[in-house]
Amino acid sequence: MDRPDRAYSVGATPILQAWRAAGIRWVVTVPDFVQLSLHAALARPDSGLRTITTANENQAIETAAGLHAGGERAVVMMQNQGLYNCLNAIRALGLDAQVPLYLSIGQFGREFANLGDDPRRSRRRMVSLLEPVMDAIGMPYFRIESSADLPNVARAADAAFSRNGPSAMLIGHYTAWE
Amino acid sequence: MALTHLQVCQAITAARGDAIVVCTMTAMNVLDGLGAASPLTLSSVPLMGGALSLGLGLALARPERTVIVLDGDSSLLMELGGLANVAGQQPRGLHHFVFANRVQFNGNHALPLADGGRTDFAGLARAAGYASAQTWSRADEVAPERIAEHLRRPGPSFVQLDVEPSPSRIGPTQPAPETTDARFSRMGDEIRAMRRALGASA
Repeated sequence: MDRPDRAYSVGATPILQAWRAAGIRWVVTVPDFVQLSLHAALARPDSGLRTITTANENQAIETAAGLHAGGERAVVMMQNQGLYNCLNAIRALGLDAQVPLYLSIGQFGREFANLGDDPRRSRRRMVSLLEPVMDAIGMPYFRIESSADLPNVARAADAAFSRNGPSAMLIGHYTAWE
Repeated sequence: MALTHLQVCQAITAARGDAIVVCTMTAMNVLDGLGAASPLTLSSVPLMGGALSLGLGLALARPERTVIVLDGDSSLLMELGGLANVAGQQPRGLHHFVFANRVQFNGNHALPLADGGRTDFAGLARAAGYASAQTWSRADEVAPERIAEHLRRPGPSFVQLDVEPSPSRIGPTQPAPETTDARFSRMGDEIRAMRRALGASA
């Protein structure tokens, strides 16, 4: 069935390729419903990345920081509500300790009517508050709203690893199964 | 008679060798007092509850290393799910010690914990899926040679240390001090020093 919302989905494979190109070897995650196809791609033996699932987002941020201390690069996958849950860990490790924290955040709960529009105008606070919260803590973010935004995957990684701080790519709609 | 934080930290310092140590709260303060600075020591500060997951990341990034986590009971209660994360990954080099003094703000102004002092932390770790979990409360159990032997066994291991709370310093005649800038820059400085010591480049 062809659904019009598919125009706003980005494939899992090009995201994985961009992560590998950025030197990412680990994924730390509280699994995200928006990024299900990406989780499935990561589970394949040839993904080239190892996944660590944690019980909450503070632990995901802290585990990624431990990987960094040990010399490894990680991406942290979570939902928008997960970001709200781990602001103190990001404050401590990303901002105060200047650890590169590269997040991939799914905009869970976004109404289809908002696709193609500004997520800040979503009717759902879970969606509309995400960017203002990151603005408030000085955390850069890069929208992934369609395949045209794929270069933002690498830009977000560079913003974390070059600046030694937190950054995020914001997945606006379900990742595609391709 | 219960153990003291100083007694345990002295023994771990003597036994650690080239192990990575991730510490927090009272253990961090006691290690500072011992003058046991090392580029392979990382303090989770100010970040209560963060030590175990930092240690998990280090243990996975550096599987050839022994990683010692010196945690507090109130810190662990904040992030109990971390036990499950360790169980899920089974890092053989990770050894998790929890100072069970049964108070929050130990040494400053003791306040009760959420669990009313009832939690069997070793039981939780065992049930979560650690490879081993024990409770130590006697001096012979924390002798440096005993700890060194423990660290040679495959992890993930868990040890609940039954320790006496330290005397409280803060009260009506001794107000709390200002938090220093160094407390906020410390963790980042130590992470960068550890990366240098480990030759990290990624």
